[in-house]
Amino acid sequence: MSKKIYEKVDKLPKGGLTVMALNSLDKFVPGQWENLVGFDHTIKQVTGETDEAMVQAIGERAIALFNDKSQGYQRALWMYESVDSASGLLGAAAMANRIGQDTFLGFLKNISPKPEKAQTVDLVVKLVTEVVAFCHINGIPGDSLGDFLAALGDYGGESLMRMAALVSFDGVIPLGADFSGKALKLIKGMGPSDLDNNPTFKGVKEEIPGNNAKGKLSFMTESFESTKGWMDKFVSDKGITQGNVVDNLSGFVEGSKSKLDYLGAFLDVSVKYYEHTGVQTLARRLIERSVAEL
Amino acid sequence: MHLVRSLKRLVPLVLVLVITLTACSSAPSKYDQVQEDTTGFSAPAAVDKTAEKGGTFNQFFPEAEGDYTVVPSQEKQGFAEYKLKRGGETVAMLSINDTISLPAAAAKYENATTMVAGFPSVVQGSTATGLLVNDRYQVKVLSRDASFTEADRAAWLEKFDLQGLSQLEADTKAFRKAQKTATPDIRTAPQNSEPKTAPTLVPQPAG
Repeated sequence: MSKKIYEKVDKLPKGGLTVMALNSLDKFVPGQWENLVGFDHTIKQVTGETDEAMVQAIGERAIALFNDKSQGYQRALWMYESVDSASGLLGAAAMANRIGQDTFLGFLKNISPKPEKAQTVDLVVKLVTEVVAFCHINGIPGDSLGDFLAALGDYGGESLMRMAALVSFDGVIPLGADFSGKALKLIKGMGPSDLDNNPTFKGVKEEIPGNNAKGKLSFMTESFESTKGWMDKFVSDKGITQGNVVDNLSGFVEGSKSKLDYLGAFLDVSVKYYEHTGVQTLARRLIERSVAEL
Repeated sequence: MHLVRSLKRLVPLVLVLVITLTACSSAPSKYDQVQEDTTGFSAPAAVDKTAEKGGTFNQFFPEAEGDYTVVPSQEKQGFAEYKLKRGGETVAMLSINDTISLPAAAAKYENATTMVAGFPSVVQGSTATGLLVNDRYQVKVLSRDASFTEADRAAWLEKFDLQGLSQLEADTKAFRKAQKTATPDIRTAPQNSEPKTAPTLVPQPAG
Protein backbone atom coordinates (compact mmCIF):
# COMPACT_ATOMS: atom_id res chain seq x y z
CA MET A 1 0.00 0.00 0.00
CA SER A 2 1.18 3.47 -0.82
CA LYS A 3 2.51 5.58 1.98
CA LYS A 4 0.39 8.55 2.93
CA ILE A 5 2.54 11.63 3.25
CA TYR A 6 -0.13 13.46 5.26
CA GLU A 7 -0.19 10.64 7.79
CA LYS A 8 3.60 10.59 8.03
CA VAL A 9 3.57 14.30 8.91
CA ASP A 10 0.58 13.99 11.23
CA LYS A 11 2.26 11.15 13.12
CA LEU A 12 5.69 12.69 13.63
CA PRO A 13 6.55 12.45 17.31
CA LYS A 14 6.23 15.61 19.40
CA GLY A 15 8.57 14.27 22.08
CA GLY A 16 10.84 11.33 22.83
CA LEU A 17 14.53 10.72 22.38
CA THR A 18 14.79 11.94 18.77
CA VAL A 19 13.14 15.27 19.52
CA MET A 20 15.12 15.72 22.75
CA ALA A 21 18.39 14.93 20.98
CA LEU A 22 17.63 17.43 18.21
CA ASN A 23 16.60 20.09 20.71
CA SER A 24 19.92 19.59 22.48
CA LEU A 25 21.60 21.00 19.34
CA ASP A 26 19.62 24.25 19.44
CA LYS A 27 22.61 25.82 21.15
CA PHE A 28 24.62 25.47 17.92
CA VAL A 29 21.87 26.47 15.47
CA PRO A 30 19.69 28.70 17.65
CA GLY A 31 16.08 29.06 16.58
CA GLN A 32 16.62 27.18 13.33
CA TRP A 33 14.45 24.19 14.11
CA GLU A 34 10.89 24.08 15.22
CA ASN A 35 9.43 20.60 15.48
CA LEU A 36 6.64 21.08 12.92
CA VAL A 37 4.10 18.29 13.33
CA GLY A 38 0.77 17.90 11.50
CA PHE A 39 0.18 18.26 7.77
CA ASP A 40 -2.23 21.22 7.85
CA HIS A 41 -0.22 22.93 10.57
CA THR A 42 2.91 22.60 8.41
CA ILE A 43 1.06 24.06 5.39
CA LYS A 44 -0.02 27.07 7.45
CA GLN A 45 3.44 27.61 8.94
CA VAL A 46 5.32 27.25 5.66
CA THR A 47 3.01 29.37 3.49
CA GLY A 48 1.51 31.78 6.02
CA GLU A 49 -1.84 30.87 4.46
CA THR A 50 -4.86 30.78 6.79
CA ASP A 51 -7.76 30.28 4.37
CA GLU A 52 -8.97 26.72 5.03
CA ALA A 53 -10.04 26.05 1.44
CA MET A 54 -6.65 27.20 0.20
CA VAL A 55 -4.90 25.01 2.80
CA GLN A 56 -6.94 22.03 1.60
CA ALA A 57 -6.10 22.75 -2.06
CA ILE A 58 -2.37 23.02 -1.23
CA GLY A 59 -2.54 19.76 0.73
CA GLU A 60 -4.26 17.94 -2.11
CA ARG A 61 -1.73 19.10 -4.69
CA ALA A 62 1.13 18.13 -2.37
CA ILE A 63 -0.32 14.64 -1.95
CA ALA A 64 -0.78 14.26 -5.73
CA LEU A 65 2.84 15.30 -6.32
CA PHE A 66 4.13 12.93 -3.66
CA ASN A 67 2.10 10.03 -5.09
CA ASP A 68 3.46 10.59 -8.62
CA LYS A 69 6.46 8.25 -8.47
CA SER A 70 8.19 9.99 -11.38
CA GLN A 71 8.66 13.07 -9.21
CA GLY A 72 11.23 11.42 -6.92
CA TYR A 73 9.67 12.36 -3.59
CA GLN A 74 8.95 8.76 -2.61
CA ARG A 75 12.54 7.76 -3.28
CA ALA A 76 13.78 10.59 -1.09
CA LEU A 77 11.51 9.49 1.74
CA TRP A 78 12.66 5.90 1.32
CA MET A 79 16.29 7.03 1.57
CA TYR A 80 15.72 9.10 4.72
CA GLU A 81 13.93 6.17 6.34
CA SER A 82 16.37 3.50 5.21
CA VAL A 83 19.55 5.25 6.23
CA ASP A 84 18.25 5.63 9.76
CA SER A 85 16.88 2.15 10.19
CA ALA A 86 19.90 0.50 8.59
CA SER A 87 22.41 2.35 10.70
CA GLY A 88 20.56 1.29 13.82
CA LEU A 89 20.23 -2.31 12.73
CA LEU A 90 23.20 -3.57 14.64
CA GLY A 91 21.99 -2.23 17.91
CA ALA A 92 18.35 -2.96 17.22
CA ALA A 93 18.92 -6.69 17.56
CA ALA A 94 20.43 -6.18 20.97
CA MET A 95 17.64 -3.79 21.91
CA ALA A 96 14.96 -6.29 21.01
CA ASN A 97 15.67 -8.26 24.16
CA ARG A 98 15.19 -5.38 26.46
CA ILE A 99 12.06 -3.55 25.45
CA GLY A 100 11.12 -0.96 28.01
CA GLN A 101 14.62 -0.31 29.28
CA ASP A 102 15.41 2.80 27.28
CA THR A 103 18.18 4.03 29.49
CA PHE A 104 21.76 4.47 28.50
CA LEU A 105 23.10 2.40 31.37
CA GLY A 106 20.78 -0.51 30.56
CA PHE A 107 21.83 -0.21 26.96
CA LEU A 108 25.54 -0.54 27.77
CA LYS A 109 25.12 -4.17 28.78
CA ASN A 110 23.78 -5.11 25.38
CA ILE A 111 26.00 -3.50 22.83
CA SER A 112 29.58 -2.94 21.94
CA PRO A 113 30.72 0.27 20.26
CA LYS A 114 31.01 0.36 16.50
CA PRO A 115 34.50 0.18 15.10
CA GLU A 116 35.74 3.47 13.63
CA LYS A 117 35.60 2.03 10.13
CA ALA A 118 31.89 1.20 10.44
CA GLN A 119 31.21 4.58 12.00
CA THR A 120 33.01 6.27 9.11
CA VAL A 121 30.91 4.42 6.54
CA ASP A 122 27.78 5.47 8.46
CA LEU A 123 28.84 9.10 8.39
CA VAL A 124 29.77 9.12 4.72
CA VAL A 125 26.67 7.18 3.60
CA LYS A 126 24.44 9.59 5.50
CA LEU A 127 26.13 12.56 3.86
CA VAL A 128 25.74 11.04 0.40
CA THR A 129 22.10 10.25 1.21
CA GLU A 130 21.61 13.94 1.90
CA VAL A 131 23.02 14.94 -1.47
CA VAL A 132 21.03 12.32 -3.41
CA ALA A 133 17.78 13.00 -1.52
CA PHE A 134 18.29 16.74 -2.08
CA CYS A 135 18.38 16.11 -5.83
CA HIS A 136 15.30 13.88 -5.72
CA ILE A 137 13.36 16.56 -3.86
CA ASN A 138 14.64 19.78 -5.39
CA GLY A 139 16.07 18.69 -8.72
CA ILE A 140 19.31 20.47 -9.55
CA PRO A 141 18.28 24.11 -9.20
CA GLY A 142 19.90 26.84 -11.25
CA ASP A 143 21.98 26.92 -14.37
CA SER A 144 25.45 26.26 -13.03
CA LEU A 145 27.40 24.34 -10.45
CA GLY A 146 27.64 27.62 -8.54
CA ASP A 147 23.82 27.87 -8.47
CA PHE A 148 23.57 24.29 -7.25
CA LEU A 149 26.10 24.90 -4.49
CA ALA A 150 24.27 28.11 -3.54
CA ALA A 151 21.05 26.07 -3.20
CA LEU A 152 22.85 23.45 -1.12
CA GLY A 153 24.53 26.11 1.00
CA ASP A 154 21.22 27.83 1.70
CA TYR A 155 20.25 25.18 4.22
CA GLY A 156 18.00 26.32 7.01
CA GLY A 157 15.35 25.00 9.35
CA GLU A 158 15.11 21.26 9.69
CA SER A 159 17.68 20.65 6.92
CA LEU A 160 20.33 22.61 8.78
CA MET A 161 19.36 20.81 11.98
CA ARG A 162 19.82 17.46 10.20
CA MET A 163 23.32 18.51 9.17
CA ALA A 164 24.10 19.70 12.71
CA ALA A 165 22.98 16.29 14.00
CA LEU A 166 25.04 14.48 11.36
CA VAL A 167 28.18 16.38 12.25
CA SER A 168 27.59 16.07 16.02
CA PHE A 169 26.12 12.60 16.52
CA ASP A 170 27.77 10.72 13.66
CA GLY A 171 30.97 12.75 13.44
CA VAL A 172 32.20 14.52 16.56
CA ILE A 173 30.89 12.11 19.23
CA PRO A 174 32.17 8.81 17.81
CA LEU A 175 35.27 10.09 15.97
CA GLY A 176 36.34 13.23 17.81
CA ALA A 177 36.84 16.87 16.83
CA ASP A 178 39.03 16.00 13.83
CA PHE A 179 36.35 13.60 12.60
CA SER A 180 36.36 14.77 9.00
CA GLY A 181 40.09 14.28 8.51
CA LYS A 182 39.99 10.93 10.27
CA ALA A 183 36.97 9.75 8.26
CA LEU A 184 38.47 10.88 4.96
CA LYS A 185 41.69 9.00 5.70
CA LEU A 186 39.77 5.88 6.67
CA ILE A 187 37.46 5.92 3.65
CA LYS A 188 40.38 6.42 1.29
CA GLY A 189 41.96 3.29 2.72
CA MET A 190 38.84 1.18 2.24
CA GLY A 191 37.98 -1.30 -0.47
CA PRO A 192 34.60 -2.43 -1.82
CA SER A 193 34.45 -5.31 0.69
CA ASP A 194 34.40 -2.83 3.57
CA LEU A 195 31.18 -1.42 2.13
CA ASP A 196 29.49 -4.69 1.28
CA ASN A 197 29.50 -5.76 4.92
CA ASN A 198 28.15 -2.49 6.23
CA PRO A 199 24.40 -2.44 7.01
CA THR A 200 24.04 1.32 6.48
CA PHE A 201 25.56 1.09 3.02
CA LYS A 202 23.49 -1.97 2.16
CA GLY A 203 20.35 -0.13 3.22
CA VAL A 204 20.61 2.54 0.52
CA LYS A 205 23.24 1.27 -1.93
CA GLU A 206 20.88 1.15 -4.93
CA GLU A 207 20.45 4.89 -4.72
CA ILE A 208 24.16 5.75 -4.51
CA PRO A 209 25.56 6.64 -7.93
CA GLY A 210 28.10 4.14 -9.30
CA ASN A 211 27.92 0.88 -11.24
CA ASN A 212 29.41 -1.27 -8.53
CA ALA A 213 30.73 -1.06 -4.98
CA LYS A 214 34.01 0.37 -6.28
CA GLY A 215 32.24 3.12 -8.24
CA LYS A 216 29.97 3.90 -5.31
CA LEU A 217 32.93 4.08 -2.95
CA SER A 218 34.60 6.52 -5.26
CA PHE A 219 31.45 8.70 -5.43
CA MET A 220 31.18 8.62 -1.65
CA THR A 221 34.83 9.58 -1.19
CA GLU A 222 34.53 12.48 -3.63
CA SER A 223 31.31 13.74 -2.05
CA PHE A 224 32.83 13.61 1.41
CA GLU A 225 36.02 15.30 0.29
CA SER A 226 34.13 18.13 -1.37
CA THR A 227 31.95 18.82 1.67
CA LYS A 228 34.73 18.40 4.23
CA GLY A 229 35.50 22.11 4.16
CA TRP A 230 31.86 22.99 4.83
CA MET A 231 31.70 20.56 7.74
CA ASP A 232 34.96 21.79 9.29
CA LYS A 233 33.82 25.40 9.05
CA PHE A 234 30.43 24.50 10.51
CA VAL A 235 32.08 22.81 13.50
CA SER A 236 34.44 25.70 14.17
CA ASP A 237 31.88 28.48 13.52
CA LYS A 238 29.34 26.90 15.84
CA GLY A 239 31.90 25.90 18.46
CA ILE A 240 30.90 22.23 18.37
CA THR A 241 33.08 20.00 20.55
CA GLN A 242 32.70 16.52 21.94
CA GLY A 243 32.44 18.05 25.40
CA ASN A 244 29.60 20.45 24.73
CA VAL A 245 27.57 18.03 22.56
CA VAL A 246 27.73 15.51 25.40
CA ASP A 247 26.99 18.18 28.01
CA ASN A 248 23.82 19.09 26.14
CA LEU A 249 22.80 15.45 25.87
CA SER A 250 23.62 14.55 29.47
CA GLY A 251 20.32 16.03 30.61
CA PHE A 252 18.52 12.98 29.32
CA VAL A 253 21.23 10.40 28.58
CA GLU A 254 22.57 9.85 32.07
CA GLY A 255 26.02 8.41 32.64
CA SER A 256 27.12 9.07 29.08
CA LYS A 257 30.09 11.35 29.70
CA SER A 258 32.60 8.60 30.38
CA LYS A 259 31.36 6.30 27.63
CA LEU A 260 31.56 8.32 24.45
CA ASP A 261 32.06 5.35 22.15
CA TYR A 262 28.92 3.76 23.51
CA LEU A 263 27.02 7.02 23.30
CA GLY A 264 27.44 7.05 19.50
CA ALA A 265 25.98 3.54 19.29
CA PHE A 266 23.13 4.48 21.61
CA LEU A 267 22.22 7.47 19.44
CA ASP A 268 22.35 5.24 16.36
CA VAL A 269 19.67 2.99 17.74
CA SER A 270 17.49 5.44 19.62
CA VAL A 271 17.55 8.61 17.58
CA LYS A 272 15.93 8.62 14.13
CA TYR A 273 16.89 12.14 13.22
CA TYR A 274 17.29 11.54 9.48
CA GLU A 275 13.80 10.18 9.07
CA HIS A 276 12.23 12.75 11.40
CA THR A 277 13.75 15.86 9.83
CA GLY A 278 13.68 14.26 6.37
CA VAL A 279 9.89 13.96 6.48
CA GLN A 280 9.75 17.61 7.57
CA THR A 281 12.00 18.73 4.70
CA LEU A 282 10.00 16.72 2.19
CA ALA A 283 6.70 18.15 3.42
CA ARG A 284 8.06 21.70 3.30
CA ARG A 285 9.31 21.37 -0.28
CA LEU A 286 6.11 19.69 -1.49
CA ILE A 287 4.06 22.46 0.09
CA GLU A 288 6.27 25.21 -1.36
CA ARG A 289 5.84 23.73 -4.82
CA SER A 290 2.11 23.13 -4.45
CA VAL A 291 1.20 26.64 -3.33
CA ALA A 292 3.20 28.04 -6.24
CA GLU A 293 1.66 25.72 -8.83
CA LEU A 294 -2.01 26.10 -7.91
CA MET B 1 -28.61 -21.14 29.07
CA HIS B 2 -25.83 -22.85 27.26
CA LEU B 3 -25.95 -20.15 24.60
CA VAL B 4 -25.85 -17.37 27.20
CA ARG B 5 -22.83 -18.93 28.86
CA SER B 6 -21.07 -19.19 25.52
CA LEU B 7 -21.84 -15.58 24.72
CA LYS B 8 -20.52 -14.48 28.11
CA ARG B 9 -17.27 -16.25 27.42
CA LEU B 10 -17.06 -14.56 24.04
CA VAL B 11 -17.57 -11.02 25.33
CA PRO B 12 -14.00 -10.44 26.52
CA LEU B 13 -12.65 -11.80 23.26
CA VAL B 14 -14.89 -9.54 21.19
CA LEU B 15 -13.95 -6.55 23.34
CA VAL B 16 -10.26 -7.21 22.83
CA LEU B 17 -10.80 -7.55 19.09
CA VAL B 18 -12.77 -4.31 18.89
CA ILE B 19 -10.18 -2.40 20.87
CA THR B 20 -7.32 -3.81 18.79
CA LEU B 21 -9.00 -3.07 15.47
CA THR B 22 -9.94 0.46 16.54
CA ALA B 23 -6.40 1.14 17.67
CA CYS B 24 -4.85 -0.17 14.46
CA SER B 25 -7.05 1.57 11.92
CA SER B 26 -6.33 5.25 11.51
CA ALA B 27 -8.97 7.94 11.77
CA PRO B 28 -10.47 9.09 8.48
CA SER B 29 -8.81 12.14 6.99
CA LYS B 30 -10.10 14.86 4.70
CA TYR B 31 -7.24 13.86 2.39
CA ASP B 32 -8.28 10.19 2.02
CA GLN B 33 -10.22 10.90 -1.19
CA VAL B 34 -7.29 12.57 -2.97
CA GLN B 35 -5.00 9.80 -1.72
CA GLU B 36 -7.29 7.24 -3.35
CA ASP B 37 -7.61 9.29 -6.55
CA THR B 38 -3.86 9.68 -6.98
CA THR B 39 -2.68 6.13 -6.23
CA GLY B 40 -3.11 2.86 -8.08
CA PHE B 41 -2.69 1.88 -11.72
CA SER B 42 -5.21 4.28 -13.25
CA ALA B 43 -4.08 7.29 -11.20
CA PRO B 44 -3.34 10.36 -13.33
CA ALA B 45 0.22 11.72 -13.28
CA ALA B 46 0.60 14.88 -11.19
CA VAL B 47 2.97 16.31 -13.79
CA ASP B 48 2.20 16.09 -17.50
CA LYS B 49 4.88 14.36 -19.58
CA THR B 50 4.93 17.25 -22.04
CA ALA B 51 5.44 19.90 -19.36
CA GLU B 52 8.35 22.25 -20.03
CA LYS B 53 11.65 21.38 -18.32
CA GLY B 54 12.05 23.41 -15.13
CA GLY B 55 15.55 24.43 -16.22
CA THR B 56 14.12 26.31 -19.20
CA PHE B 57 12.55 28.81 -16.81
CA ASN B 58 15.78 29.80 -15.03
CA GLN B 59 16.68 32.46 -17.61
CA PHE B 60 13.47 34.41 -16.95
CA PHE B 61 13.90 34.92 -13.19
CA PRO B 62 14.90 38.33 -11.81
CA GLU B 63 18.51 39.05 -10.83
CA ALA B 64 19.70 40.05 -7.35
CA GLU B 65 19.10 43.74 -6.72
CA GLY B 66 20.03 46.14 -3.91
CA ASP B 67 19.58 44.39 -0.55
CA TYR B 68 17.87 41.47 -2.23
CA THR B 69 19.48 38.19 -3.26
CA VAL B 70 17.87 35.52 -5.43
CA VAL B 71 18.77 31.94 -4.50
CA PRO B 72 17.80 28.85 -6.54
CA SER B 73 15.48 26.57 -4.61
CA GLN B 74 13.71 23.95 -6.74
CA GLU B 75 13.84 22.81 -10.34
CA LYS B 76 11.45 20.03 -11.32
CA GLN B 77 9.67 19.22 -14.55
CA GLY B 78 7.26 22.06 -15.29
CA PHE B 79 8.40 24.07 -12.29
CA ALA B 80 11.22 26.30 -11.07
CA GLU B 81 11.41 28.28 -7.85
CA TYR B 82 13.81 30.77 -6.29
CA LYS B 83 13.98 32.31 -2.83
CA LEU B 84 14.02 36.07 -2.57
CA LYS B 85 16.14 36.97 0.45
CA ARG B 86 16.83 40.19 2.27
CA GLY B 87 19.38 40.32 5.10
CA GLY B 88 19.63 36.53 5.06
CA GLU B 89 15.88 36.10 5.61
CA THR B 90 13.54 34.67 2.97
CA VAL B 91 10.92 37.37 2.33
CA ALA B 92 9.26 35.81 -0.73
CA MET B 93 9.31 32.89 -3.14
CA LEU B 94 9.46 33.44 -6.90
CA SER B 95 8.14 30.73 -9.20
CA ILE B 96 7.25 29.81 -12.77
CA ASN B 97 5.18 26.73 -13.58
CA ASP B 98 3.71 25.11 -16.66
CA THR B 99 -0.06 24.87 -16.11
CA ILE B 100 -0.33 22.02 -18.61
CA SER B 101 -0.22 19.74 -15.57
CA LEU B 102 -2.90 21.71 -13.72
CA PRO B 103 -5.32 23.46 -16.10
CA ALA B 104 -7.36 24.83 -13.17
CA ALA B 105 -4.37 27.01 -12.33
CA ALA B 106 -4.65 28.69 -15.75
CA ALA B 107 -8.44 28.80 -15.71
CA LYS B 108 -8.51 31.20 -12.76
CA TYR B 109 -7.05 33.94 -15.00
CA GLU B 110 -10.01 33.83 -17.41
CA ASN B 111 -11.94 36.34 -15.36
CA ALA B 112 -8.96 38.38 -14.21
CA THR B 113 -9.74 42.08 -14.02
CA THR B 114 -6.19 43.24 -13.39
CA MET B 115 -3.17 43.27 -15.67
CA VAL B 116 0.48 43.35 -14.63
CA ALA B 117 2.92 44.23 -17.40
CA GLY B 118 0.18 43.45 -19.88
CA PHE B 119 -0.59 39.96 -18.53
CA PRO B 120 -3.74 38.90 -16.64
CA SER B 121 -3.09 38.85 -12.92
CA VAL B 122 -4.87 37.60 -9.80
CA VAL B 123 -4.31 37.71 -6.07
CA GLN B 124 -4.71 34.24 -4.61
CA GLY B 125 -5.33 33.53 -0.95
CA SER B 126 -3.59 35.93 1.41
CA THR B 127 0.04 35.57 0.31
CA ALA B 128 0.24 35.10 -3.46
CA THR B 129 -0.01 37.16 -6.63
CA GLY B 130 0.29 35.51 -10.02
CA LEU B 131 0.07 36.27 -13.69
CA LEU B 132 -0.33 34.10 -16.75
CA VAL B 133 1.80 34.24 -19.89
CA ASN B 134 0.60 32.74 -23.20
CA ASP B 135 -2.37 31.15 -21.43
CA ARG B 136 0.11 28.60 -20.14
CA TYR B 137 3.03 29.75 -17.96
CA GLN B 138 2.13 30.96 -14.50
CA VAL B 139 4.51 33.36 -12.78
CA LYS B 140 4.01 33.86 -9.05
CA VAL B 141 5.41 35.83 -6.16
CA LEU B 142 4.51 34.51 -2.70
CA SER B 143 5.10 36.54 0.45
CA ARG B 144 6.92 34.74 3.26
CA ASP B 145 7.24 37.75 5.53
CA ALA B 146 4.57 40.22 6.62
CA SER B 147 6.79 43.12 5.50
CA PHE B 148 6.60 41.92 1.89
CA THR B 149 3.30 43.40 0.75
CA GLU B 150 0.95 42.87 -2.16
CA ALA B 151 2.51 45.93 -3.82
CA ASP B 152 5.97 44.35 -3.43
CA ARG B 153 4.67 41.21 -5.08
CA ALA B 154 3.31 43.11 -8.07
CA ALA B 155 6.61 45.02 -8.36
CA TRP B 156 8.68 41.82 -8.35
CA LEU B 157 6.39 40.16 -10.90
CA GLU B 158 7.41 42.91 -13.30
CA LYS B 159 11.10 42.13 -12.76
CA PHE B 160 10.75 38.71 -14.44
CA ASP B 161 11.67 38.58 -18.12
CA LEU B 162 8.01 38.20 -19.08
CA GLN B 163 8.60 39.11 -22.72
CA GLY B 164 11.26 36.41 -22.93
CA LEU B 165 8.90 33.89 -21.35
CA SER B 166 6.17 34.82 -23.83
CA GLN B 167 8.55 33.88 -26.66
CA LEU B 168 8.97 30.40 -25.25
CA GLU B 169 7.85 27.92 -27.81
CA ALA B 170 5.10 25.80 -26.36
CA ASP B 171 4.00 22.36 -27.36
CA THR B 172 0.67 23.82 -28.32
CA LYS B 173 -0.85 20.64 -29.68
CA ALA B 174 -0.44 18.74 -26.42
CA PHE B 175 -1.46 21.82 -24.48
CA ARG B 176 -4.72 22.35 -26.38
CA LYS B 177 -5.55 18.67 -26.02
CA ALA B 178 -5.05 18.86 -22.27
CA GLN B 179 -7.16 22.01 -22.09
CA LYS B 180 -9.95 20.40 -24.04
CA THR B 181 -10.19 17.35 -21.79
CA ALA B 182 -9.64 19.21 -18.53
CA THR B 183 -12.32 19.50 -15.92
CA PRO B 184 -12.30 22.76 -13.96
CA ASP B 185 -10.97 21.32 -10.72
CA ILE B 186 -8.90 18.34 -11.72
CA ARG B 187 -7.38 16.66 -8.68
CA THR B 188 -7.52 19.78 -6.51
CA ALA B 189 -11.21 19.18 -5.85
CA PRO B 190 -12.89 15.82 -6.43
CA GLN B 191 -16.20 16.09 -8.27
CA ASN B 192 -18.25 14.89 -5.36
CA SER B 193 -16.70 17.35 -2.92
CA GLU B 194 -18.45 20.35 -1.50
CA PRO B 195 -18.12 23.54 -3.50
CA LYS B 196 -16.37 25.15 -0.55
CA THR B 197 -13.05 23.69 -1.74
CA ALA B 198 -13.16 25.74 -4.91
CA PRO B 199 -13.03 29.41 -3.76
CA THR B 200 -9.26 29.25 -3.68
CA LEU B 201 -9.18 29.67 -7.40
CA VAL B 202 -11.62 32.55 -7.68
CA PRO B 203 -9.76 35.48 -9.21
CA GLN B 204 -9.43 38.70 -7.30
CA PRO B 205 -8.06 41.95 -8.63
CA ALA B 206 -4.39 42.50 -7.94
CA GLY B 207 -3.48 45.70 -6.16
